[in-house]
Amino acid sequence: MAIRELKVCLLGDTGVGKSSIVCRFVQDHFDHNISPTIGASFLTKTVPSGNELHKFLIWDTAGQERFHSLAPMYYRGSAAAVIVYDITKLDSFQTLKRWVKELKEHGPEDIVVAIAGNKNDLGDIREVPMKEAKEFAESIAAIFIETSARNAVNVEELFQKISKQIPPLENHEDETSESFKLSRQPAASTRRCC
Amino acid sequence: MASSSPPGNPPSGLTDRSGSFFKLIDTFASEIGELKREMVQTPLTFDKEPMDLQGLEAEVCGVYLQSPSCAGLGGERDSGYDSLRRRMSVLERLTQTHPVWLLLAVTEEEATRILLTQPPGVFLVRKSAALQRKILSVRLKEDQSGTPISHLPVRESQYTFSLEDSGISFADLFRLVAFYCISRDVLPFTLKLPEAIASAKTQKELEEAAQLGAGFWDSALCSQHRTFPRACRPLSRTLSPQRSNREGEESQQRHTGAHCDSAPPTLRSCASPPSFHLERRHSSGPLCFVTPLFLQTHRRPPRCEDDPPTHAVRSDEDLENEAKSLKLSSSPGIEQHADKVKLNGKSRTPPPRPPPPRSMPRRRPAPPPPGPPAATTRPKSMPVAVTVSPRQQQTSTKRQAPARPSMGGKQGSPSKTASPPIPVPSNPPPPRPKKPDLESHRCHIALDDETIAKALSRAKRPPCQPTAADALLEGPSTPKERGRQRLSDMSMSTSSSDSLEYSHSPGFSLGLAPSPSRHLNHQDTVEDSSDDDDDVDEDDEDYGVSLETDLEMRHRPSFKARRRRVGVSLGGGSFILPRALKGRFRKVSGMLSSLMTPERRAVKRIAEMSRDKSSYFGSLVQDYISFVQENRGCHTSGTDFLQTLRQFMTQMKAYLRQSSELDPPLESLIPEDQIDQVLEKAMHKCVLKPLKSVIEVALHDFQVKSGALQQLKENLALAKAKRPQELGVDGAVPPDPLAIEKIRHKFLNMRKMYSPEKKVSLLLRVCKLIYTIMQDNSGRMYGADDFLPMLTYVVAQCDMPQLDTEIQYMMELLDPSLLQGEGGYYLTSAYGAMALIKNFQEEQAARVLSSEARNTLHHWHRRRTTPRSAPTVDDFQNYLRVALQEVDTGCTAKTLRVQPYTTTEEVCSLCAYKFKIPDPNAYALFLVIEGTRQQLAPDTHPQRIKAELHGRPCAHTFHFVYRRIPNLNLFIPAVMDNGNCIQVE
Repeated sequence: MAIRELKVCLLGDTGVGKSSIVCRFVQDHFDHNISPTIGASFLTKTVPSGNELHKFLIWDTAGQERFHSLAPMYYRGSAAAVIVYDITKLDSFQTLKRWVKELKEHGPEDIVVAIAGNKNDLGDIREVPMKEAKEFAESIAAIFIETSARNAVNVEELFQKISKQIPPLENHEDETSESFKLSRQPAASTRRCC
Repeated sequence: MASSSPPGNPPSGLTDRSGSFFKLIDTFASEIGELKREMVQTPLTFDKEPMDLQGLEAEVCGVYLQSPSCAGLGGERDSGYDSLRRRMSVLERLTQTHPVWLLLAVTEEEATRILLTQPPGVFLVRKSAALQRKILSVRLKEDQSGTPISHLPVRESQYTFSLEDSGISFADLFRLVAFYCISRDVLPFTLKLPEAIASAKTQKELEEAAQLGAGFWDSALCSQHRTFPRACRPLSRTLSPQRSNREGEESQQRHTGAHCDSAPPTLRSCASPPSFHLERRHSSGPLCFVTPLFLQTHRRPPRCEDDPPTHAVRSDEDLENEAKSLKLSSSPGIEQHADKVKLNGKSRTPPPRPPPPRSMPRRRPAPPPPGPPAATTRPKSMPVAVTVSPRQQQTSTKRQAPARPSMGGKQGSPSKTASPPIPVPSNPPPPRPKKPDLESHRCHIALDDETIAKALSRAKRPPCQPTAADALLEGPSTPKERGRQRLSDMSMSTSSSDSLEYSHSPGFSLGLAPSPSRHLNHQDTVEDSSDDDDDVDEDDEDYGVSLETDLEMRHRPSFKARRRRVGVSLGGGSFILPRALKGRFRKVSGMLSSLMTPERRAVKRIAEMSRDKSSYFGSLVQDYISFVQENRGCHTSGTDFLQTLRQFMTQMKAYLRQSSELDPPLESLIPEDQIDQVLEKAMHKCVLKPLKSVIEVALHDFQVKSGALQQLKENLALAKAKRPQELGVDGAVPPDPLAIEKIRHKFLNMRKMYSPEKKVSLLLRVCKLIYTIMQDNSGRMYGADDFLPMLTYVVAQCDMPQLDTEIQYMMELLDPSLLQGEGGYYLTSAYGAMALIKNFQEEQAARVLSSEARNTLHHWHRRRTTPRSAPTVDDFQNYLRVALQEVDTGCTAKTLRVQPYTTTEEVCSLCAYKFKIPDPNAYALFLVIEGTRQQLAPDTHPQRIKAELHGRPCAHTFHFVYRRIPNLNLFIPAVMDNGNCIQVE
């Protein structure tokens, strides 16, 4: 099975639990075959998806305002971006909207955007209604899910959803498809002739 | 070990210290010898019969062919040792004649055509375009199967080559084939060299065969020898139509197992007594061998213990059982796999291999050994690993070294003596260490006491002192365990130094990690925490000149550490080694270099070629290097400069992949998926290493000129004064001054390296250290929210303006495929931290990065990630060395950038400009070849002419000379040996 590397960028305010989600995702099913990374800012995990393996290269970003300007370096070339907010902090949802805007303007064209409302276990002090967030996500055709990194809720699902949205390799896969096309083209043209 | 300490240790004449210094080296050498002995002795434990002892002896001299004619004789075993034959091992024969059998470009049909006229066992290796794999095509016995030719895919992984379905892996293709020439393993019978090659008695005969290349098979040389095997051939030839139908179906005949499965009746015959007898007759002579190889998990582990499967002679029962077990255990899987392969094959047609840039119908007759000059440089103190029979000693006086048991003889180096050096007239490649006469040196040296003391203090450091970080990185297995593991793994004996290397060098374990992705590999590099395999190379080439070493490295508790220790004590920098000592080290390192991994051998080979201006690749690299050295001012910025370097390296990599200049081809030494990495490494060595200081100076100049350095210094000072909290650190405890000093030291070491990858791996270690400090104090995992501010703080505290150019260097030169991985991530973070510091004042004011900095980031990313179509040979930035010859002032030469399609006219105008010629019309470009001079027509293409001259078989010295068009025939010196001009062998 071909391993396909996917750069995933994590965006969101500081303290919303970006790295907790990823740590949970990476550590839950610890794969001994994969050499651990040196720290939690950059983590990798390989998951099967269809007939290929997706290796997520997860780039965490610093959420503080002063580092905002560095974000383009991190999200450039990403196949997906996970924007995390804290359901107990309305501010973090506002920041999320700014990230969405920035990605639309400067991000990679076909980037898969996933919105994760973290700290779902703290429902009783919720500030961001699930409905509102969901509608926002739908309006921008983004994946939406509420997670709890602490209780390992929906973390796996988040990445599965991303995996599903990644378009299967087509023009990228070396010569494989190319030669396939080549062999198919003549057939099509003969048909047209008839 | 004491017993093996050298007899020649200088008793007097040297100080005690130097004595013990030498002792250290000798101990070191003898340890290796011991390892070898252990390995070589292993078969003894299997085979207790006396006749097998003889086999062991034979092993000592490598694997030797015995001609079938000898096998028929009564005293075959003895006659097999006839001294002429013994000179060349199978491996040697194979290596030298690879143009004959290593025919990667040949199609299946062509292979079938060639082999059909050959006796059973004859083989060739080709590359299947559909499968994208190398295929061993073997002529089968006629009666034994439905198909006359068997095609077995070669599996390549993690620096090893093996036959599909066999558990035995080899360091390269040559060893694989050599092994199967002697042992059948999964084959129905052993491979056979064409008789002309197998019976060749001299190098010259082999060379003649090699000269013919693929043409060998149709030549008289091949056919004249083809008389004997007919005797063994079955009388009845039954070629059924069904048989010929099968020819095309590769997947079915992929190997005997699958094949047997699909054609049950014929399977029986492969294990049936008659065919066995045949085989037995053939293999009765060379009962010897067990070639260099290393066993991975073998399919039948218990067998390994008491009956190594590689054994040539087995009982009938054994054979039959084996055939059955083979069939049982492997067939279904294979069938499945075959289907898969077939599917793949259908959908994938690889691009045709582009033609070599110059016509190379034949490879050079005698390929220079890819391997190191192992045997010749081995110290005398090497213990002899195995008892050598008196007879053998007699016969192998001079040739003894290459034929030595272990690392020498059958190793990658088909022994120095075996292949005549390529003549390189007046431009010899950098001096290989000459074989120093140790004894004589010993008498002369007056060793400086201090030097020795220093060396000792360095060298004697206890080998087992891993630092905390290293221990963390090292993983659980202790070196001892590793060692034990190795020996038990290698139940097969073998004197393979490669296997030794594999299991021993932690560097190698990288390759073994199940990680096909580059990023992963990269992480492994970091994990490994040793910087490089490269160092060792450097050690034996230029001690201490640019030894990249991190001090911690010395504590590595492994075999490698010992090596490194030698390197460090040599290269530690501050002292110059007395010559004799160097010589001694050369011996050791020469010996060690025979332990090189195939990867390192390949890198070394490419690096050697890059210095050899008689090769096209070498002239490209050398011309480029001199161009950069002369014209570093022509770039607008440091980034621009680095980009052209990166581009050149990428182009050269593409060239090496496309050209046939590397001999033996890279594909025979390195598995496909590793080739890019190997090439990248080689390019760093060929291009970045010689240019390192030039690049450093240039980058610094740019930094000064633009005022960026001044600004950076000011901002660094500002940032350094800030408390961690002011830089965004929240919660995590920052490193104390001691740790900062340690990090600083690492950064300083980073500066010493030329390889961007190694620099990055050091950066990763700095980051790892920062994490460790952060986590030690809290126990929690830190993400980027905490890490990036901390990194910024650390960078500020280190107060190293040089770090900026370091980061720039890495950013621009790092292999693009690594940019998405961990190295890329932390490099990005370091760049970000540096960018924040650089703009500290502005940030303080506006809390945002200047738009300029942002744009730089954008541009950088676009530049490095836009996929470039792979460059072809045609768009090389070629360089042409042109000499200006003036009657009064003599010769001056300049390297000019000349594209392949640049005309002579254009070159002339370029020359006029560069040489500042006031009357260009009176000048013209001449080609001077060995005294004859020829004016080039304005519409000719100098680069093409150069390429063509390089492609010529015979050696000529030629130069491009820009000079006044003579009215009279003025005398022109025929050869300008200023070293600047291009020389052709």
